[in-house]
Amino acid sequence: MITLTIALRNIFRHKTRSLITLSTIIFGCTAIIFAGGFFEDVFYKMRESYIHSHTGHFQIFRKGYWEKGNSQPYNYLIDNPDEIISHLQAIPGIKFITSRLQFSGLISTGENTVSCIGMGIDPGYENQDIPAGANLRKMSDAMTLEGPVIIQGKALTKNNPYTVMLGKGLASSLGITAGDPLIILTHTTGGSINALDVTAQGIFMTSSKEYDDHFLRLSLVTAKKLLHTDSVQSLVIMLDKTEDTAGVKKALARVFQDKKLDLELKSWDEISDFYRHTVNLFNRLFLILKLVIAIIVILSIFNTMNMAVLERTDEIGTIMALGTKKRGVLSLFMHEGLGLGIIGGSFGVAIGTALTHCIARIGITMPPPPGASMPWVSEPRIVLTTVVFAFMTSILTALVSSLYPAYSASRLEIADCLRHK
Amino acid sequence: MSIVKLEKICKNYTLGKTTLNALKNIDLNVEQGEFIALAGPSGSGKTTALNIIGCIDKPSSGKVFIDECEISYLSSDGLADIRAGKIGFIFQNFNLLPVLNALENVEYPLLHKKMAFHKKRKLAQEALESVGLGKYARHRPMELSGGQQQRVAIARALSTSPLMILADEPTANLDHVTGTEILTLMKKMNLERKTTFIFSTHDQKVMEIADKVVRLWDGEISS
Ligand SMILES: Nc1ncnc2c1ncn2[C@@H]1O[C@H](COP(=O)(O)OP(=O)(O)O)[C@@H](O)[C@H]1O
Ligand SMILES: [Mg+2]
Repeated sequence: MITLTIALRNIFRHKTRSLITLSTIIFGCTAIIFAGGFFEDVFYKMRESYIHSHTGHFQIFRKGYWEKGNSQPYNYLIDNPDEIISHLQAIPGIKFITSRLQFSGLISTGENTVSCIGMGIDPGYENQDIPAGANLRKMSDAMTLEGPVIIQGKALTKNNPYTVMLGKGLASSLGITAGDPLIILTHTTGGSINALDVTAQGIFMTSSKEYDDHFLRLSLVTAKKLLHTDSVQSLVIMLDKTEDTAGVKKALARVFQDKKLDLELKSWDEISDFYRHTVNLFNRLFLILKLVIAIIVILSIFNTMNMAVLERTDEIGTIMALGTKKRGVLSLFMHEGLGLGIIGGSFGVAIGTALTHCIARIGITMPPPPGASMPWVSEPRIVLTTVVFAFMTSILTALVSSLYPAYSASRLEIADCLRHK
Repeated sequence: MSIVKLEKICKNYTLGKTTLNALKNIDLNVEQGEFIALAGPSGSGKTTALNIIGCIDKPSSGKVFIDECEISYLSSDGLADIRAGKIGFIFQNFNLLPVLNALENVEYPLLHKKMAFHKKRKLAQEALESVGLGKYARHRPMELSGGQQQRVAIARALSTSPLMILADEPTANLDHVTGTEILTLMKKMNLERKTTFIFSTHDQKVMEIADKVVRLWDGEISS
């Protein structure tokens, strides 16, 4: 008790020095909380925009598609999508299940022809009509949570099948604007060639430049007509919350087994390698950052504690003469380090959280991430585990850096200390 | 009863190739209740002798008995227990802990004792009152004069009711009047409580108050 009192009073004895040390800890905490929040926001936006614009939370294919579907896509079509959907629909957490049919082909204005990938979607589900806001932040939010954003023209509608939406890059390589007529040319599932006159209803943009450069979206009905088939290629499941992925996956697998469905199930994280690699990379970067911060904090506290021991040699001699044992001296300086860690950590967590929160409200405009074409607005998130980590790190670094000074204080000879002046 | 007994104590310091004999074959016996001055010029070995008596330093050879118990076999924790239980210290520079107020300073040595918190407080308060500083309990050392600080130090030394109090030049940093007051206070405590005092000094006037003067000269007792 008295040890703690003495330790705390000694911390406040050298106000400037302690303030500098505390600032280092506070800075470290803030940096960790902010960087962690920034990375988390990157992960979140990337994940959600991929899910909503591209992968959905799950995709269901006919068995074998994942391995061989690339070369023979039409050998692995699903013939009974409605039946499958009816089995799965009741699983809690599922927002909707919809079908897709994808093909590669050519798209032409008559003058210009480029290759493209067509994706037949159900406009009732996968086609929120999000107008391109003037506001970058609204747009990046929409892209994250809703899917492709329409930057020109209008969204697909159910009752007008002969319309398509083009990715931004695809539209510009064709040199068209919304409303222009186009011809799509592709193989049917039977192998013959088929063409269709359509109108470019709108131009969209997603978080992936790759996608926007090659894809066009059209109504599933139209795609079926073009490919001469009634089957679909995949079922896309969208959940209410991404956190439910693991739980729903189990439920889906159970239904597959019960109903003997010969299907392949892939979750979004299995489909998007890119996300996994980015998370790994950023986590590694974050680890290095944390290490660097920890080292700076350790050196700063170490310096302070060492000075304290040097300055207070005569006090150490005095308390040892008065009967304090070596471990008592050790404990005194460890308490002092701990005090620095707790005070610094508490303020650090408070300031770091507050600052991250403020910055998130303002938002930081960031350049387009790799593979994307649009700047985005970062809104760092406060991650509880990172906040706890920052606090624990403050305490741990404080203890680690006090260990040697405290130990050397406890090893001092009393007579030498008392002669020291 | 013998409280301190030194037998053929030598203390050597090695300084490079030369050896400095700070104490040479010192024999000393201190009885309960004595008020002894260790007198001698600067460098004669007073501090060294007091440190050895106070279990702060170990002799190079010879035996030390505290309360009729040989201490050379004790570990550093064992010595700390002896200091905490049997010895009080007063220093030339007062050596109060600057972050503690007068009362807390007096209470500090009591921390090593197992007793209720309020009892420690009471003992400390009494000790502080006995040196006439009851009203200064909340003052930090910085806010006290040298004489007052040394009084607090005396109270601190007395608070555990030790067998003996060792004072290394307790008046050297005080003016003459204050020094005499401090010494008179020590003498008073010696008489009232029968606490043994051993103090060092190089001041002729100070020695006159002592019951017995042990003269040190170049590490030897010259009687
Ligand atoms: N740690 C030490 N190392 C070397 N010499 C020392 C040390 N401590 C004391 N001495 C020497 O021992 C002698 C006695 O010192 P000390 O006991 O301090 O004398 P006094 O207290 O009478 O002035 C002096 O010559 C001093 O220089
Ligand atoms: Mg001396």
